[in-house]
Amino acid sequence: MDVVFNQAFAGLSIASILLIIALGLAIIYGTMGVINLAHGEFVMLGAYATWALQTYAGLGVVTALPLVFVAVAAVGWIIEKVIVQRLYTRPLDTILATWGIGIILQQAVRLGVGADSRFVSGPHWLSGNIEIGALVMSNYRLFVIAFSIMVLGATWLLMTRTEFGMKLRAVIQNRGISECYGIEAKNVYSVTFAYGAGLAGIAGALITPLFSTIPTMGTGLVVDAFLVVIVGGLGSLMGTAAAALLIGEVTALFSIVINDTLGRIAVLAGIILLIRFRPRGLFPSDIRH
Amino acid sequence: MNTRLSYDIIGLTLFAGVILFGVPALFSYDGFELNTFSRYLSLAIVSMALALSWGTAGLLNLGQAATFGMGSYAMAMHLKLKASGDGLPDFMGWNNVETLPLIWGPFQSLTFTLLAGLLIPAAVGGLIAIFMFRARIAGVFVAIITLAFLVAFQLLVIEQQGLTGGQNGLTGLAQLVLFGWKIDIYSVSFYYMVGGCLVAALIFGLYLTHSKFGLVLRAIREDAERTRYFGYNVANYQTVIFCISAGLAGWAGMLYALVLEFASPTYMSVSFSLAIVIWCAVGGRESVLAAAVGAILVNLAEGRLSDVFVEGWHMILGVMFLVVVMFMPRGIYGLLVDAGRVLRRKPASTKEALPFDTPLNPKQES
Repeated sequence: MDVVFNQAFAGLSIASILLIIALGLAIIYGTMGVINLAHGEFVMLGAYATWALQTYAGLGVVTALPLVFVAVAAVGWIIEKVIVQRLYTRPLDTILATWGIGIILQQAVRLGVGADSRFVSGPHWLSGNIEIGALVMSNYRLFVIAFSIMVLGATWLLMTRTEFGMKLRAVIQNRGISECYGIEAKNVYSVTFAYGAGLAGIAGALITPLFSTIPTMGTGLVVDAFLVVIVGGLGSLMGTAAAALLIGEVTALFSIVINDTLGRIAVLAGIILLIRFRPRGLFPSDIRH
Repeated sequence: MNTRLSYDIIGLTLFAGVILFGVPALFSYDGFELNTFSRYLSLAIVSMALALSWGTAGLLNLGQAATFGMGSYAMAMHLKLKASGDGLPDFMGWNNVETLPLIWGPFQSLTFTLLAGLLIPAAVGGLIAIFMFRARIAGVFVAIITLAFLVAFQLLVIEQQGLTGGQNGLTGLAQLVLFGWKIDIYSVSFYYMVGGCLVAALIFGLYLTHSKFGLVLRAIREDAERTRYFGYNVANYQTVIFCISAGLAGWAGMLYALVLEFASPTYMSVSFSLAIVIWCAVGGRESVLAAAVGAILVNLAEGRLSDVFVEGWHMILGVMFLVVVMFMPRGIYGLLVDAGRVLRRKPASTKEALPFDTPLNPKQES
C-alpha cells in the first residue's frame, strides 16, 4: 500500500509539471490552432536561463522564476511576430515550422552552451522531506505542485477577469467580428503566444533541479504535454488540468503494475483510443467554432 | 495524354537516366561512393511514399518512420538468423532467451521476409487508417494519432530487448543471398538494384496519382465532405492510400537495413520521422518525383555539409526547413511549376493554386 501512496505522489509531481507545460500549449492551441512543437524547446530555454542565472548571477531557482518567465516570453513574442503569424491560415504547416524552430533553438543552445548536461541546485529552504507514515514527500516537489496550482489559478483569472482575457475569448469565438469591435487580434495572438512560451519557461526553471538540463530535454516533454492538451479538450483550462492529473497518475500507477515503459505505452494507446472516440477531448469547452 | 502526364513522364525519364547512368558515371563506378548514394535512394522511396499520403490525399502521417522501421527490422531479422547459423542470435543469449521466439521462426525464409517487410507495414498502416478514417478523423488529429503511435511503437521495440535487441538494434548481419546471388553492398550491381526499386516505386506512384484513384484522392484533399456527397467512400480511399504508403515505406526500410547493415530503433524516432517530412516538403509534396528528388538533395547536402559544419549542420537544416515551409510551401516542385507558368506567359491564376493544407473542418471533429 505504501508503494501505491508514494507512486500516487510521484504521479502528482509529474502531473504538476505537465500541467504548467500543457497550459501554455493549450492556450496557444486553443487560441490560434497552432500546434507548437517548439514548446519543448521553450522549456529547455527556461531551464538553461535558470542555469545561467544561478551560475553567473547567483540567483536561486525561485528568485529566477520571474526573470525566466520574461526572457522566454520575449523569445516567444519574437518568434510569433516573425514566423508563426504568417502561418495562421495553414494549421498543419505550423507543426512543421515550429519543429524547424525547435531544431534551430536546440542547436543554438548546443553551440552556445555545449551539449553536456548542466547542474542546477534546488533551493536550500526546500531541501527536506515531509514524512507521513511511509509516505515520503520531497518539499521541493510539494512546492512545484503548489506552484502549478497557482499558475492555473492565475491563468484562469487572466482569462476570465481581465480585459485582455475578454478580448482573447472574443477572438477565439470569432476573430472577424472581434476585429470589427476594435480588438487587435494580431496583438492578442502575440501576447498569448508570449504568455504560453513564458509558462513553458517557468516549467523549465522548475524542473531543472529534478531533470538533467540538456539541449534535447524538451523533445520528450512536448509530446506528453500535447497529448494532455488533446485529452483535456480544446480551449478548456480545467480540462487541461484534469487531463494532466489523469495522465500523471495513470503513468505513475501503471508503472507499479507493469514497468515504466509499458506503462507509457499503455497510456499512449489509451490516448489514441480517446482521440478516436472523443476527438474534442474529455472536457470540451462550449465555444462554438 | 494530358500535359501534366507528359511532363511527369519526361521528368521521370530524366530522373531515371541520371540515377541509372549519370550518377554511376560521376562516381566512376566506385562501389563505396555508390553505396552512400544507394542509402539516399532508399530514403527517396520513403519520402515518395509520404508524398502519396500527404501530398496527394492530404493525410500528414508523422508515423511514417514506424512502418519504415518495421521493414528494416524484417530484413535485419532474416539476415541476423542467417548470420547466426544454427544457433540463436547473440543478443538473445545476453537477454536470457533460451529458444528462438515464435515470431522469429518464419524469417528463416527469404520469401516470407520480403513479403513481411512489405505486407506487415501495409497491414499495420491499414489498421491505423481504418481506425482513424472510419471515425472521419482529419487534419491535425491524423498527425497526432500517427505521432503517438510512433512514440509508443519505438518504446515497445526498445523495451522488448530479447526480441529486438533493444536500444542496440540488430547488428552483425549476414549478406543477403537473393536467388543464389550473394549481394555485396559495395558493388555497382547493388546500387542498380536499389535504383531499380526507386524507379519502379516512382512509376507505380505516378501511375497512381494520374489514375482516377489519384483524382479522387486529390478531391478528398481539397474537400472531403463534398467528395463524400458525390457518393465516394472517403474512408476506403484514404485507407488504401495509407496502406500503399506504409507498404512502400516498409520496402524502403528493407533496403535501408541492407545498405547500413544494421537495424536500430533510431529509425523509428520522432526526429527521423519528421526528417522524412522535411525531405518531402523540400522537394514538393504534390509530386512523388519531386519528393524523391527532395530526399536525395537534402541527404546529399547533409552528407557534404555535415563534414564542413559538424555542429552547425542541424542549424542549417532547421533554417532550410523553416524557409521552405514559409516561403515555398510547394517546395522545389512549386517553384518549377511557377517558373514554367511565367515562361509560357500565363499569369498565375488563383483558381489553379492549391490551398496548402486541408483546413481543420469543425464539422469533422465531433
